[in-house]
Amino acid sequence: MPGKRVFITGMGIISAIGTGVGETLVSLRNNVSGIGSIDIVDTLLKTKLIAGEIKVPNDNLVELTGVKKNAYYTRTSLLGIAALQEAMQMCKLDPSRQKTGFINATTVGGMSDMEKFYFDLVDPTTKSNENGLADCLDCADCTEKIADHFNIKDWIATISTACSSSANAILYGARLIKSGQLDVAVCGGTDALTRFTLNGFNSLKNIDPSPCMPFDENRNGLNLGEAAAYVILESEEQLQRSGNKPLAELSGYRNFNEAFHPTAPSPNGEGALTAMQETIQMAGLQPADISYINVHGTATLNNDLSEGIALKRLFGENVPLFSSTKPFTGHTLAAAGAVEAVFALLSLQEQIIYANLNFKSPIPELGLYPVTSLQTDKTVNHVLSNSFGFGGNNASLLFSKYV
Amino acid sequence: MAETTPAFYLVNMFNPVYITSARAICAQDTFSNNNLPEETKAFEQNILNYHEPDYKKYFTIMQLRRMTRIIKIGLVTAIEALKDAKLEQPQAIITGTAKGSMTDTEKFLHDIVDFNEGTLNPTAFIQSTYNALNGLIALHHNANGYNSTYVHRGFSLENALMDAIMLFEENRIENALIGCFEEMTAEHYELKKKMGYWKNESMKNIDLLNSPTTGTIAGEGTFFFTLNKSAENAIAKLNGLRMLYNVDEALIKTTFKSFLAEHNLTLDEVDTVFLSYNGNSQTRHFEDAISQQLSPSTNQLAFKHLCGEFDTAAGFALWAGAKILQHQTIHPSLILKKGTSSSLKNVVIYNQYNGKEHAFYLLEKI
Repeated sequence: MPGKRVFITGMGIISAIGTGVGETLVSLRNNVSGIGSIDIVDTLLKTKLIAGEIKVPNDNLVELTGVKKNAYYTRTSLLGIAALQEAMQMCKLDPSRQKTGFINATTVGGMSDMEKFYFDLVDPTTKSNENGLADCLDCADCTEKIADHFNIKDWIATISTACSSSANAILYGARLIKSGQLDVAVCGGTDALTRFTLNGFNSLKNIDPSPCMPFDENRNGLNLGEAAAYVILESEEQLQRSGNKPLAELSGYRNFNEAFHPTAPSPNGEGALTAMQETIQMAGLQPADISYINVHGTATLNNDLSEGIALKRLFGENVPLFSSTKPFTGHTLAAAGAVEAVFALLSLQEQIIYANLNFKSPIPELGLYPVTSLQTDKTVNHVLSNSFGFGGNNASLLFSKYV
Repeated sequence: MAETTPAFYLVNMFNPVYITSARAICAQDTFSNNNLPEETKAFEQNILNYHEPDYKKYFTIMQLRRMTRIIKIGLVTAIEALKDAKLEQPQAIITGTAKGSMTDTEKFLHDIVDFNEGTLNPTAFIQSTYNALNGLIALHHNANGYNSTYVHRGFSLENALMDAIMLFEENRIENALIGCFEEMTAEHYELKKKMGYWKNESMKNIDLLNSPTTGTIAGEGTFFFTLNKSAENAIAKLNGLRMLYNVDEALIKTTFKSFLAEHNLTLDEVDTVFLSYNGNSQTRHFEDAISQQLSPSTNQLAFKHLCGEFDTAAGFALWAGAKILQHQTIHPSLILKKGTSSSLKNVVIYNQYNGKEHAFYLLEKI
C-alpha cells in the first residue's frame, strides 16, 4: 500500500545465541550455534533431542527484568520482557504520550509453566492457584504481562498463526500505523521451549536429533528453539516527534495462505512464491534488488524443497544470497519472524550476511547453494525475510536500508 | 472527577463495512433457523454447552472421525455463513479465539504423560494449534489469500474485524470471512474455577443478571460473519469499533460518549444497546456506567444469560445485533429494559471480558 512509510527504530532479542543484540551479533559473526543439550525443560526427550535452549533459568530472568513478584510470570512472559526491555531502551518512547500498541505473537503462551502444574490445577481436590498461575495457559497472558510492564495500552493484540506468527504481528503493526490507528507499534513474538511443543513436533516426526541442516540434500528435520524478539515501528510523522533514528525501513510485507494442506507446504511453492513476489512488488522493487534472503529454511524435507522451488520460480537463475539462521537459534516458532527480523536489521546495519551452518551438499532437485560462511564484503540494501507455517500460513517481510 | 479523554486518544474511524451473513452455534438453538428459537433453553448448571448441529449433513463418517469438536462446529458455522452470502471463496479468512481447541490441548497434555513422551499421535497437537480451524476453512473452500488468527481473550474477534476493515481500506479485498470460536471443557472449567471465574452456587441462567454474588456462568459459542465492501445484499452495516484495555469506568463512560459523537449520534438516537452483564457483582459497575447514561428511548439488552460467558462472547451480540437490524424485531429473551423508541436503526454493543478488555461496536440498519 503506497502512502505512509514505516520505520524501525528499536530492536531487542533473547535467544539461544545470546541475551541482547550485542551477544547475538558476536555469535552470528563467529558461527556459534546455540543448539545443544536440553537442560531446563523437564522432558524425557532430553536424552534423545537437542534444542536451542536459552541457558538462563527463570529466577535469573526475574532478576534481569525486575518484574514484580506478586504475579505469576511465565518463562514466555519473562523472555518477552527481557527482549522488549532492550528495544525500549534503544529508542526514546513514551507510551503515555504516543498512540502505542503492542502486537505480540506466541504459539503456546504460558504452556512452559502450565505444563508443570497442569494436573494439580485441574484436580478439584487440590487448591493451587498461586499468584494467578491458572490464568497463564492462554496466549494473551504473556501479552498483557508484557504490555503492563511497559505501560502500553492503546492497542493490544496477540497473533497465533504457527511459525509465521510474529511476521504477521509485524505486518499488522505496520498496517495499524499506516491506517492512522497508531503512532508506534511494538511488534514481535515470544515462545519458550516446552515439553508440549517438543513432543508435538516429535510426534510429527520432523525433528532432527542432530544439528539441523537447512537446504542440504541430507536434511532430516528441524531443531526447536526458544526466543523472544521485538521491533519498534514508527510512522514518519512520529519520527519527527520522537527524534528517533531509524535502523531501517519496513518496505514490504505480505501474508498469503496457500490452502494446500494442514501441515505441509505445496510442492510447487505457490504460497512462498506469492508471499515473496508481492512483498517485493509492494516496495516498488525488482527481484534483482534483493541483497539477501533470510529464508524460512527449517530443514524439514518439505519446507526447504518447496521454498527452494519458490526461490527458483521467482528469481530464476539469479537467486540472491540466502541462508537459514535456524541452525543458530533453532526454530523458535512464533518468535522466529521477529528473531529473523532482528537478524535482517543487523545484516543491514553491519553489512554482513550470515552463514547457513551445517550445509554440505545441495538438494539435487534444486542445485541451490546457500551462503556457507560469513560475508562481510557484500553491499546489503534490501533483506527479504520468510516465515512459513502450519495451516498454509505464509508471510514475507522486506527490510530496506534507511536512506 | 470525570476523566477527560486525552488529545492523543484513538479515533478508530473507518468506512463502514457491510455484514452480508451471520451465523451462530451456541448453547441456544440459534442454528436451525439462524435466529433465537421462540423458547430459549433454560439451564440449571453453570456450564452452558453447545447445542450441536447434525454434522452428518456436512461430513462423511470418516471425516467426522478425524475432526475434533470445535473444528466441526467452526467449519459448519463458516460453511453456512458463506452459503448464506453466496460466497464460495472468501478473499480473507480471519478468526479470533482465546483458547482454540481446549479438547486437543488437554488431550495432548494427557498423552504426553500417559505415554511417557513416547510415540504420540500428532492429531491432537495439530488440532490444538490456534490457526488450525482457519487453515481447514481455507482448505475446505480452496480459498487462498489473507489468513490470520487473533488469540487475545476479549480482543480476539475485535482484532480480526479490525484486520479485515483495514484490508478493505487498503483495497486488498472485496469480501472476507470473519469468525470467533470457543469451547469449554470440564478441565478448563476447573482451572477457571480456581481463579474464581464462576459462581459457587448453582445458578439458573435466567436469574443470572440479578445475581448479587461474584463470578459468572460458563458458555461456549462459535460465530461467523461475511463482510463485504459494498452494500449489496447486506443485512447490517458495521460503522464503528473501539477497543479499550485495562481502563476504569470513568474512561468507559467518556469513551462511550465520544464514540457516539464521532458517529454523529445522540443518546436518544441509539435505539438498542447490548450490555455484557454476566451476573458478576465485581464487574457490573462497567455495564452500569453505560446503562445509567442511556436515554429512556433505548432498548437495553443482555445476552450472556443465554450463551454464558467466554472470551469471545461478543460474537453473540454481533450476531444478534445483525439479526435485530435485519428482521427489525428484538427477541424478548434479550430485553433487560424496554425502551420507548419505535425504530430499530442503530445498535451499540458494549462488551467487557473479565474487567480488562472492553469493546464498543456500532451497527446500523441498511
